[in-house]
Amino acid sequence: MRKIILTLLLTASVVSVAIAQNSYIPYKTFDGEHKNEISGYAMGGNNVVTDGFGGLAVSYTRHLTPRWHVGGDAQMQFGKELFSVDVQGGYRLPIKWGNISFDGKIMYNFYHKFGFHEMAYNISATWESAYVDIRLGETLVHYHSHVWGIGWGYTETPLLTFGFGVNIRHRDNPWNLGLFFRNYDDFYYENWNINWGIRWYARIKQRWNLFGEFNIRPAGSMSQLASKYEGSVKLGLKYKW
Amino acid sequence: MTMKARHIYIAATLAAVAMLNTSCEKVSPQGVLMAGTAVEDRVEMSYKYYRENNMEQKFDYDLEDFTKDGYSFLVGADSHITTDLGRMNEMFQIGLDNDDLFFCHLGDIADTKPDYYINLQNCLSEAKVKYVEKYYTFDEETHEYYRKGAQIPLPKEYRDIQFPFFPVVGNHDLTHNGWALWSNIFGSSFYEFEVAVGVDDNGKLICDHFIFLDTASGTLGKLQVDLIEQGVLDGKNYYNYRYTFVFSHTNIFLPQHMQFASTFPREEAYFLLKQFDKWEASIVFCGHVHKWDEQVFNGVYFLTLDSMSERNSPEPGDYLVRVNIDKDGILDIEKVHMSYVAPKK
Repeated sequence: MRKIILTLLLTASVVSVAIAQNSYIPYKTFDGEHKNEISGYAMGGNNVVTDGFGGLAVSYTRHLTPRWHVGGDAQMQFGKELFSVDVQGGYRLPIKWGNISFDGKIMYNFYHKFGFHEMAYNISATWESAYVDIRLGETLVHYHSHVWGIGWGYTETPLLTFGFGVNIRHRDNPWNLGLFFRNYDDFYYENWNINWGIRWYARIKQRWNLFGEFNIRPAGSMSQLASKYEGSVKLGLKYKW
Repeated sequence: MTMKARHIYIAATLAAVAMLNTSCEKVSPQGVLMAGTAVEDRVEMSYKYYRENNMEQKFDYDLEDFTKDGYSFLVGADSHITTDLGRMNEMFQIGLDNDDLFFCHLGDIADTKPDYYINLQNCLSEAKVKYVEKYYTFDEETHEYYRKGAQIPLPKEYRDIQFPFFPVVGNHDLTHNGWALWSNIFGSSFYEFEVAVGVDDNGKLICDHFIFLDTASGTLGKLQVDLIEQGVLDGKNYYNYRYTFVFSHTNIFLPQHMQFASTFPREEAYFLLKQFDKWEASIVFCGHVHKWDEQVFNGVYFLTLDSMSERNSPEPGDYLVRVNIDKDGILDIEKVHMSYVAPKK
């Protein structure tokens, strides 16, 4: 059953890329017209510890000015029994070769299956050009178990957050396809376990965009024994006004 | 994209591909994205070996007589043996001199190359000779060995005497498909055993519990998670457990920022922390990052050991840990000094 769901999601992603025809507004970059963006995606995958999982995520971004934005995200995942919520904000600095944005994010995760509460604080800088984007930042993660109470917890040493993405077409094109390598996802930050995968986006109507990802999340990347840990697919819609 | 930019892009791609296909003895760059030795295969083989060789029984009854007055064991990590066996020999000699009951190793025992594993095997063989000389008597008539001090000494052939060295597997033991070499010597990377320390008022055997996990790949893998959830390592319900010690190559907590080492992914770290709580673990020993660290989380003591390798830690230092448990069951941890220094070339 899990294989069938995964196959359907993957097929839907591929078909959506094929039918896309219009232009794309880069993620969280103000397009000069619309001040609000709301998006949602469905995800599904398989994880070594939790087996199959699936869930829904929503995101809202408000462009206060062409330079400043704020927003928030939330997700619920079944299988992992994970609930997440975050608030974030950032400043975009246009330069000759694209944009550099400076972002901050505060995120709360509740891993109900394991009984862990987690807080993550991230600051990062992202350079986004026509074909390539690079992200560097720092993340501080604190967690504790709800079984043992608030007093028991551990704060990790700051984690380097990094990401690299490359698109096959200029980012202003109506559809695009790219590769990414990164040690984070929308709702988690890792140390040196490097996610990689395929991402795409496509505009289907004036205000509607489709997007998706196929994400391989190995364990042990820096141990040089990167092993199967998690594979997942996302398929989402974004609306702006 | 301009022509110049396109050339740079192609050159960078070719360089990355070349890098991923290049390998040296210690590094396996392609393993950053995909592995050659799968944890599922290792655990399947290990569990089969563990059951068929009755590993948990093999050690327990040898030691029952020798722990009533307390005992100690020695732990080392990341020896990365190549051609210099100085530190490994020193670890064994320290343990034999102190009458430590057994030795545990936290993985990355040898860098993966057949020659290095032959060196490791020779080192273990020499240590076994010293061990047998110290703890066994040889009967000239029957040509059998008897453990000194045993209440009921059982005759043994030399090959049946187990040198008490209990390792977990590390990532450097496995790069370049080293599992064939490692498993040939040690058999299983996933096992547990008990050390009997007494009998309670109900006649139940009181034991200390030792659990060894295969975390070399930075994940337990699906099969190992399933086996743990099935309770394969939970021990036996007819034993009464006093202390539980867990051994893992990959560490849970990162001792310092910007360390180029993978630890467990989020869900798996939380799964393990919950599991340690279920096992009522006393101490979790980890290696991997070549950096000393100690943490207490929910009453579980986490010790991450520095590398004992003469290349990673060339200066003499406290690279080993000894756990002493006295006859009253009081547990004490001490760092043990190593003084071997590699000769200058």
